[in-house]
Amino acid sequence: MSGWILLPVFLPTIAGILLLVSSFREHLARTDGMPVFIEDKEVLGKLHQFTAIVLTVSVVLALLAALSGDRSVTLFYLMKDIPIYFHIDEVGRINAVFTSIVWLAACFYAFVYMEHEGEEKRFFGFYLLVYGMLMALDFSGNLVTLYFFYELVTLTSMPMVLHNGTREAIMAALKYLLYSMLGAYMGLFAIFFLYRYCDTLEFVPGGSLNPQLVSGHETILLIAVMSALIGFGVKAGMLPLHGWLPAAHPVAPAPASAVLSGIIVKAGVLSVIRVVYYMVGTEFLRGTWVQTAWMVLALLTVFMGSLMAYREKVFKKRLAYSTVSQVSYILFGLSAMTPAAMTGALLHTVFHAFIKTVLFLSAGAFIFRLGKTRVEEYTGVGKQMPGTLWCYTFASLALIGIPPASGFISKWYLAAGALDADIGVFRYLGPAVLLISALLTAGYLLPIVMKGFFPGEGFEISEKKEAAPAMLVPLAVIAALTILLGVLPGPLIHYMSRIAQALM
Amino acid sequence: MAFVQNFPFMSIILSLFSGPLSTVMDRKKAKIINTAVLLILTAMSAAVLVYVMGTGESYVYTMGHFPAPWGNEIRVGVLEAAMALFFCVIMLLCMLGGVLERELELEESKENLYYVMVNLLLCSLLALIYTNDLFTAYVFVEINTISACGLIMIKQNGRTIEAATRYMIMSLLGSGLLLLGICFLYDLTGHLLMSNIQQQVRILQETGAYHVPLLVSLGLMSIGLAIKSALFPFHTWLPDAYGYSTVSSAAILSSLVSKGYIFLLVKIFFRVIGFDIVKNSKVVNVLFVFGIAGMIMGSVSAIRENNIRRMIAYSSVAQIGYIYMGFGLGTTDSVVASIYHIVSHAATKSLLFVAASGITDASGDSTSFFDLTGAGYRNKLAGAAFTVGSLSMVGIPMFSGFISKLLFAQSALESVNKMLPTLIALAISTILNAVYFLKTVIRIYAPDRKLASEKHFRTITMADQPQKAAALILFIILNLALGLSSQPVIRLIRSGLSMFS
Repeated sequence: MSGWILLPVFLPTIAGILLLVSSFREHLARTDGMPVFIEDKEVLGKLHQFTAIVLTVSVVLALLAALSGDRSVTLFYLMKDIPIYFHIDEVGRINAVFTSIVWLAACFYAFVYMEHEGEEKRFFGFYLLVYGMLMALDFSGNLVTLYFFYELVTLTSMPMVLHNGTREAIMAALKYLLYSMLGAYMGLFAIFFLYRYCDTLEFVPGGSLNPQLVSGHETILLIAVMSALIGFGVKAGMLPLHGWLPAAHPVAPAPASAVLSGIIVKAGVLSVIRVVYYMVGTEFLRGTWVQTAWMVLALLTVFMGSLMAYREKVFKKRLAYSTVSQVSYILFGLSAMTPAAMTGALLHTVFHAFIKTVLFLSAGAFIFRLGKTRVEEYTGVGKQMPGTLWCYTFASLALIGIPPASGFISKWYLAAGALDADIGVFRYLGPAVLLISALLTAGYLLPIVMKGFFPGEGFEISEKKEAAPAMLVPLAVIAALTILLGVLPGPLIHYMSRIAQALM
Repeated sequence: MAFVQNFPFMSIILSLFSGPLSTVMDRKKAKIINTAVLLILTAMSAAVLVYVMGTGESYVYTMGHFPAPWGNEIRVGVLEAAMALFFCVIMLLCMLGGVLERELELEESKENLYYVMVNLLLCSLLALIYTNDLFTAYVFVEINTISACGLIMIKQNGRTIEAATRYMIMSLLGSGLLLLGICFLYDLTGHLLMSNIQQQVRILQETGAYHVPLLVSLGLMSIGLAIKSALFPFHTWLPDAYGYSTVSSAAILSSLVSKGYIFLLVKIFFRVIGFDIVKNSKVVNVLFVFGIAGMIMGSVSAIRENNIRRMIAYSSVAQIGYIYMGFGLGTTDSVVASIYHIVSHAATKSLLFVAASGITDASGDSTSFFDLTGAGYRNKLAGAAFTVGSLSMVGIPMFSGFISKLLFAQSALESVNKMLPTLIALAISTILNAVYFLKTVIRIYAPDRKLASEKHFRTITMADQPQKAAALILFIILNLALGLSSQPVIRLIRSGLSMFS
């Protein structure tokens, strides 16, 4: 029986729901409806303990499930011949592993950070819930199951965006929700057609398109695939529907931004991989207008995202635009449809998850300790919080792609893959845009490092305000990973290229 | 003949006669009798359903031993029995959920009249479901209208009187058109029993005679019932009627009354005219266009609304649009989707009305959005139930609304011309639904730091309103069950539809 692989789905989900409906009070005595905001430390401690234990157990279970080989389990039939079906395969495994690591690290960070945001019960309740949904998404074995949990991830992650309850936050959350739902619906539109023209809705490496059924209906199928790409691309922040990212990130608490940017956008990437490589197959798409349009959109997003980030002065918004740009690196790699580019895309998925988590968590630490949100205020932060800024620096170097940090490896494969591919002018245009964007990346990330460590003359060194160890340790661990994976990338590259080979 | 076969007739008669009985009782006893009758009807419908599913075929029940062309008949198949059971269950839950409001909002001397109306309404609904006679159907349509008016008007304030008058006028227009259609058909075929009419219609169709009158008759009946079930643009009576009447009335009206008419229309399509003829007529195209317009305009009106009850009412216009769009697609699959949506919408909409009343209870009985801030914390169960209902309406997986959306889209793929309009309309309507429902959900969960203490809003726990809590929990379970294991329901609808012809 492999039913136990669903434990990492159900355990955090149930624990999250229990936490949300529990009568756990984090504030001391409320008098007739007027909340008195004195936090009950003891109760909060218990809340943290509960969350930490549940999440740790779930993560261990998830890793066990992910690493225990290809297992599958059918939960029930949603409709006749459409089961809710889970199957752990290579791509799902990778996603589950990096999701778990980031989720755990950001959780420990959040225990400290959420102190100044309040409403911790709600935050951690949904935090657990989203983890369960993400595991289900990663393990899902057919397209309808994927869609099912894709929608639920959107829905359960929304409360983390509107956490502080201001008008701005609520509007941002609604924007996130509506964009994602529109995207999901466009994905669903494609699913209806794939249901018709594929042999099965289960994920088959290389796709399961039935040529006999398709012949004569190529146009409509191509339109459907394009719709899926744009639709699932919403979550991945691809133009033209990237607008929710810069709106949602500045208002969300830092740990939420970190997982939103590092992990949840990858749900869009995963869905695109599933549709293109596991349902339709590259043979059908290669050389069509869909591939061209996809590449144009991805490259435009890479460039525009970097440019917007460069011009943006609010730090978290800048990082959000950076996500827009970086995730489209991945999408460009996927659109090139060569094994090397695919390897690069998969590597960048993992590396970007770690890097962006570090960047957002360090941004959160600056906000938490210094209350500074704008880039120009960060002069001299390196003197006040050297540890945090060092983590930020390593992650920045990795994102720009300076060897030996991890981003270099993935970008190398992306560029090499694009040069290999038979994609006309994009063979050269692609790597060129990636290069320009890397320069812009350096342009928007490094000034903070320089100004932070070298504030220049006339700056008075105030007292040290280093982030608490409980915040710094998770940050440092992930930051170390971003460098370490760049130094010792061998096994990972090997693994990813094997997947990519199998799919082409 | 098995004894169970008497049950449909007995359930109609039982609910008909328990009405007058309630008039002479005091309110307590009337309530008990009403509940008992509802429970008995539920049990009887369940028994009938089990029986029909066991035999696997429909049966005809002759009344008064007059043979076919003259006598009145009841016809029971799987779909009829299932609908009857479902209507009884929803009615029971609506009554349960609105107990407190009835005690508060109705005059003491009028409360037993309410039970009269409810019993009459259920009687007419069951008759509409079971009858095999077109004229009997018409008679019960009128009874239905009158008792529905009573349900709206019984909470007496200016708004409801006006709403009931509007409802009366529109409804009578609708039944007038229906009657006209039936007269035409009677003239053409010489019969009133559905099966006999269908035979004659087939002959007419083969000979090609009276093509236009037949079409006119079909059109009149469709439009008549469309007006009565509030298809856009005939929906103007609806927001007031649902928005200001007492909770159980609003829930019953939105989830049962309009659905009874729609079910009658399905019967007319399949049992009277024959779906092949309906499919090839232009009438379905008209329904399709109005359905799609309703899906979008209903939601647009709902977005502009600031009153939660009226917002939910406008959302009904949109959902009725879905159902007619399904008819308009003109395939058996799309009708299956429509019937599934009847079930799903009935379960969801009544949940929403009851949950909204729970939310307004915790907001000083105000229905305006401004006062609802944070109500989800003051009445947790109602907040959760409202969230479930909203998610189902938007069509999030796991809830019943998703399945109907899936079924509509799947059936749309089969028709070449209507595929794109349907899918686009579904997309737009999904987004619009999300706008107003999730806006409300966020509103009721927005932290409310000042208002509660200033306005002295109550905090309501499950123990304060046990009946409503029970109704809400059962509604939530029903909704999740429909969303997660839709397969048996869909199979049931399919087999029921195949028994129709």
